[in-house]
Amino acid sequence: MPDQIIVLGEHSKGQLKDVSLESLSLGKELSKVLRKEVILVVIGRELDEMAQEVSSKTGLRVVVLTTQKYEYYTPETYCEILYSFLLRESPYLMLVGHSYQTIDFVPKLAGMLDWAFVSNCINYQIQNSQLGWVRQVFNGKLNLRVEVKRGSPYFVSIQQGTFETSDYNIRVSPRVYHHELVLPNLPLKRKLIEVIENVHKKIDLTKAEIIVAGGRGLGSKENFQLILDLAKALGGGVGASRPVTDSDWLAKEHQIGSSGQVVSPKLYIACGISGAIQHLVGMANSECIVAINKDPYAPIFQVADYGIVGDLFKILPILIELAGEIKK
Amino acid sequence: MNILTCLKQVPEKDSRYKIDSSGIGVSDENLTFETNESDLYALEEGLRLKERVGGEVLALSLGPERVDKVLRNALAMGADSALHVKDESYDGGDAWVTAQTIVAAIRQKEFDLILTGVQSEDMGHGQTGTMIAQLLGWSHATIVTSVDVIDECSRLQVERELGNNVFERIELQLPAVLTIQSGINQIRYITLKGIMQAKNKPYKIISTDDLDLQSGMIGEESSKLKPQELLVPQKKRQTVMIEGDAEVAVKSLMDRLQKETKIL
Repeated sequence: MPDQIIVLGEHSKGQLKDVSLESLSLGKELSKVLRKEVILVVIGRELDEMAQEVSSKTGLRVVVLTTQKYEYYTPETYCEILYSFLLRESPYLMLVGHSYQTIDFVPKLAGMLDWAFVSNCINYQIQNSQLGWVRQVFNGKLNLRVEVKRGSPYFVSIQQGTFETSDYNIRVSPRVYHHELVLPNLPLKRKLIEVIENVHKKIDLTKAEIIVAGGRGLGSKENFQLILDLAKALGGGVGASRPVTDSDWLAKEHQIGSSGQVVSPKLYIACGISGAIQHLVGMANSECIVAINKDPYAPIFQVADYGIVGDLFKILPILIELAGEIKK
Repeated sequence: MNILTCLKQVPEKDSRYKIDSSGIGVSDENLTFETNESDLYALEEGLRLKERVGGEVLALSLGPERVDKVLRNALAMGADSALHVKDESYDGGDAWVTAQTIVAAIRQKEFDLILTGVQSEDMGHGQTGTMIAQLLGWSHATIVTSVDVIDECSRLQVERELGNNVFERIELQLPAVLTIQSGINQIRYITLKGIMQAKNKPYKIISTDDLDLQSGMIGEESSKLKPQELLVPQKKRQTVMIEGDAEVAVKSLMDRLQKETKIL
């Protein structure tokens, strides 16, 4: 119904993922503002327990969708399931989290339905009674507010960590509906072989109180030693942005960001890191952020508490020395 | 394998932007452009696949005159030919429009594999590659971190990122579209020999008028999204910018960290 906001609940091991909890909160907020109903949709098998709990705690209707031959996620399967569901429901909009999974199937589904897809949004804005969405553009240096021309229905995905999660503790009778779709038994174009978890040599930065992180600005593996030295002087952990681990200056375990670890230490010192969205997502909730970069317009300064614009190679040696003295 | 790599030209990472008079775009002057990072990794991956199993790599890009820099660069790296879909008003289309334009541009050709980056650094929709797969009815995978060709080039096994250092290994039928994640490989340096050879490689320019698209099918008019306002982000935190030369700045920083935050 055009009065419905449908939220996709991604899940793992019987729990809703954080970004879906955030989507739910946003959905609830929008439902009040726009006077629409909000429902949660989850896809897969053996989800009844999770669905009952979520429905009871949030007070929302939960729909569990599956097919007779559902085994695991593939973009085809999810698109087939949601295509027929969404055609029937014809909602106002469908809200999903911006994730490794939704990147993989929502553009396909949007194409199938000929719906707009506003991806990776960080905010919404209502102006002149029109609902608009705010997205980061140009490496996070600017924000762009867009509107969907034809209006509903359409897809929106939201960036993880930008909307707060409410505490759900309503405790009402759950309303859970199960739909099993019968889909044509065509061979899948894509199949899963295995899931690989790289857990060897685990370095847990989530417990570190101080993290010193380096980025592309260090220039080389040899120069990166400065980061190691500063971390040692402060008794902190060593982090890195993606380009550093891609270039093998440091092991992947040290990577901080959407592809690596998400940390929130007391002190995060970002050296030579521009602050691309994918990195910010991994550290923006740190208590105190210090940024050192030669580019005064680097997005990292948007989230920093203290910033120094200058030459890393002049600043770091002095910082290392001073840190060493203080820690004695 | 016949491989297509789609490359987007974007402003350099360190660019300083000025919002133009329209209020929804940035001024082109004083901007330097480069190839979108993950597209470059996709091109490199395409070249490596060609080196392993044979075939040809076509580099394609959409946009105005200046886009030829991206294509010349691709040819110098080793792409066999280039296709420039030239249109001054191109920028402004959404991912669906871009995907349709690309599909129309390659209609006469046969590819086994289409490679794009995961997302562009300027608009960052992250949708174009998957939408190309949808238009063509091909299998696809996104955020790909490794590619293996198996079964005499009829199938692929790829790994894709799921976040948190978790990956999935999947098998795909060809033809397929892959969106390639940055860091999948090491991008080769361009050699003088490469630059010289590039001069003799086929470089075709077509305009969007040549494509089997209705007028108004490309660019902002057919986009489903309407940009309303471009803004400088509001600061999430009040940043204290510490002035002075290195000695002064570091001392001031340490002072503040000790006194104001009591962390050290």
